[in-house]
Amino acid sequence: MSDLVSIESIGIEDGQLVRAIGEIDLSNVAEVLSAVISAVPHDAALVVLDLSDVTYLDSAGISMLFKLAERLGYSRQPLRLVVPPDSPIRAVLELTNLTSVIPVVESIRS
Amino acid sequence: MTGGELTRSRWEGSTLPAAPDLARLVGRLALVGVAYYLGARLGLNLSLVEQNVTPLWPPTGIAVAVFLVMGRAMWPGVALAALAVNLPISDGALAAAVTAAGNTVAPLVAVTLLQRAGFRRQLDRSRDALALVFVGALPSMAISATVGTAVLLETDLIGRGEAAATWAVWWTGDAMGVLVVAPFLLCLPLFSEERSWRPQRWAQGVGLLLLATATIAWTARSEVPVLFLVLPILAFAAWRLQLRGAAPAALITSLVASWSASRAIGPFSHGGLFEQMFTLQAFNACVALTSFVLSAVVSERNRAAEALAVAAAELEDRVLLRTDELTTANTRLLQEIRDRSEAEEQLSLEEARTRREHQIAETLQRGLLPDRLPQIPGVMLAARYVPATADIQVGGDWYDVIQLPDGLIGLAIGDVAGHGLQAAATMGQVRMALRAYALQDPAPVAVMSSVHQLVSQLPTAEMVTLLYLLFDPGTRHLRFTNAGHPPALVFDTARGEYLGGGLSPPLGVTAEPDFTEVAHQMWPGASLLLYTDGLVERRGVSIQDGLDRLVVASVADASQDVDELCDGLLLQLPGNQPVTDDIALVAMRPLPLVPGPLSLTLSGEARMLVQMRVAVRRWLRENDVSPADENEILIACGEASSNVVRHAYGATPGPMHLTAELVDDTVVIDVRDDGAWRPPADLGGGWGLQLIEGLMDSVDVERSADGTLVRMRRRVRMGATE
Repeated sequence: MSDLVSIESIGIEDGQLVRAIGEIDLSNVAEVLSAVISAVPHDAALVVLDLSDVTYLDSAGISMLFKLAERLGYSRQPLRLVVPPDSPIRAVLELTNLTSVIPVVESIRS
Repeated sequence: MTGGELTRSRWEGSTLPAAPDLARLVGRLALVGVAYYLGARLGLNLSLVEQNVTPLWPPTGIAVAVFLVMGRAMWPGVALAALAVNLPISDGALAAAVTAAGNTVAPLVAVTLLQRAGFRRQLDRSRDALALVFVGALPSMAISATVGTAVLLETDLIGRGEAAATWAVWWTGDAMGVLVVAPFLLCLPLFSEERSWRPQRWAQGVGLLLLATATIAWTARSEVPVLFLVLPILAFAAWRLQLRGAAPAALITSLVASWSASRAIGPFSHGGLFEQMFTLQAFNACVALTSFVLSAVVSERNRAAEALAVAAAELEDRVLLRTDELTTANTRLLQEIRDRSEAEEQLSLEEARTRREHQIAETLQRGLLPDRLPQIPGVMLAARYVPATADIQVGGDWYDVIQLPDGLIGLAIGDVAGHGLQAAATMGQVRMALRAYALQDPAPVAVMSSVHQLVSQLPTAEMVTLLYLLFDPGTRHLRFTNAGHPPALVFDTARGEYLGGGLSPPLGVTAEPDFTEVAHQMWPGASLLLYTDGLVERRGVSIQDGLDRLVVASVADASQDVDELCDGLLLQLPGNQPVTDDIALVAMRPLPLVPGPLSLTLSGEARMLVQMRVAVRRWLRENDVSPADENEILIACGEASSNVVRHAYGATPGPMHLTAELVDDTVVIDVRDDGAWRPPADLGGGWGLQLIEGLMDSVDVERSADGTLVRMRRRVRMGATE
């Protein structure tokens, strides 16, 4: 794992909460993808990826998120993203139309 | 002389002499008359012819001496006495009167001529002796001799044949009287007027007088003609004692010889009157000349010798005096040289001590404070150190600015309790240690903990306050921790703000202090001020007051450069009061860089993307681009760069160039490679270019044989609105 980003995973009521902290770019997307997938148990009904503390996300990261959603879809594990409205990555998500494919919530509570 | 002058002055007055003066005059006249009379009686006893022609007539000598000493006013005494002498031996009163007149006039004329000739009665010059012989004695006495002889002729006491011989006897007698008696009388006043004789001289004088008397007493009666034997004695007396020794002996010699001649005994026992007369007068002349002429010559020589001696003595005195003066001056000079060399020695000792102390202080000072602040691009720094008004120019206050890796800056300011060498030495140690700790790990808490360890282990327990800040000039981000030191001030021309928090007790006070770190983002255009309590503490004024005044003064001077700012603060805050505590002061101002273009060349690899972002982010912040714009520009740059990384080169990465420029309110960024552009289908889902187009106002792609250029533009807003 590069020192640009770190991944934390916590089991929650109805699934798994994975938190990414740092910057996600072309240099670490592959690592982030495998880290998140390995952090999610097979029986997790829901995967929540918290991007609240991600300060940078590029198009490679967007591709990675689409791939992640696709992979989890195979195992019937829906993916939710947590992105606060004032997050610096919000514009990228909207510009790539990702929000129409992967549900995005503004906070963990919701 | 004195009496003469006195008398003359009385007569010149219009009033009669006063009774006491008259009585004195009469007394003197009587005295003179008596002396003259007695002299005359003596002379008559020595007469060779009859009763009135004598070979030695003392009264003329008396008269001359009296006129010389007491003045010519004494003539009445002389005249009366002469009359009294002549009356019994003359033929009638008229004859006596005429003779007396001649006897009186002769000495008067003699004295008048002598005084005209400048005669000195002291008879101490050869010219005085000659004057007495050739003016006073020989010519003048021709008068009395002529008058007397004429009277004798007229009264028939002598015959015409005897006239010439009588005249000659009379003349020589009167002349001898002058030559023999006058010097004797003139010598008498000298005993009181001149230097008095010592007993030895008296003995000599009396001895010579007795010897002369004995000699003449014998030779004047001896048949052998050895009268001349007395002459060497007289000569000796004249040589040794001058007039006072010779004149009395001469008088006695002449009297004895004359008496012998008048009795016709001894050498005068044979031969005629003329022969006797001639012998006697020749002898008396020799006696007189030997005595007073030799005396005068010797006196003159003595006086010359004396004058010479006086001159020599004076010269010697002057030489002695001069030598004395020279010696004194020399002594003073030597003393002065000694004093000066002592003073110089003292001074050089003092100087050496001062220099040594100064060197120690200077060395410590150098250890204590940075020689000069580091030159850091984009940051202006100034520092001041004002020691308390004391002899030793070092105290407990200190500061340091440390340039750390990654472009970070460590700022430290502190105060050791106390002043002087001890405090300075401790501070020097702390400062050096802090530098080393900061280079090892610049984090504020880590540095503070290490310094605390050091201070706790110092042999002398010192209380140390320390404020340590870590500043990132790229982000204007501050981290600090504070051990009991006054807070740093962040300010600009509008406001000032103390950096509170992160406080712990001073180092060396508690065993395990809990250091905490506080972060602060300095706003653009803000300056940072570190200081010690000497700047804000004033006697009788609360420290809060000082802190408030510091904010006001700093804000007022915030537009000046940091050096002027420091000087201004030192001028305003302590005011006119003497500096009672050391003051250390550090001012730092991060400068907004002049908006210049950014130019980067990185290796076209994925891992370099973060470096690219850091550089661009810093450049955008330096240009005061708003955070929202910053984010999206960074993503656009990232996409353009990612395209280079993924598509420009094959297996071997090539260079990736990025330039950024702010043109008015538009950021223009070029990302360029030296490789071949691939079709957009290869780009990750085509999102890269799509994102760039979505984030930027415009994007142009230029392909060429030697690479591809992506030019992106975006209008931005300025100002940090976090």
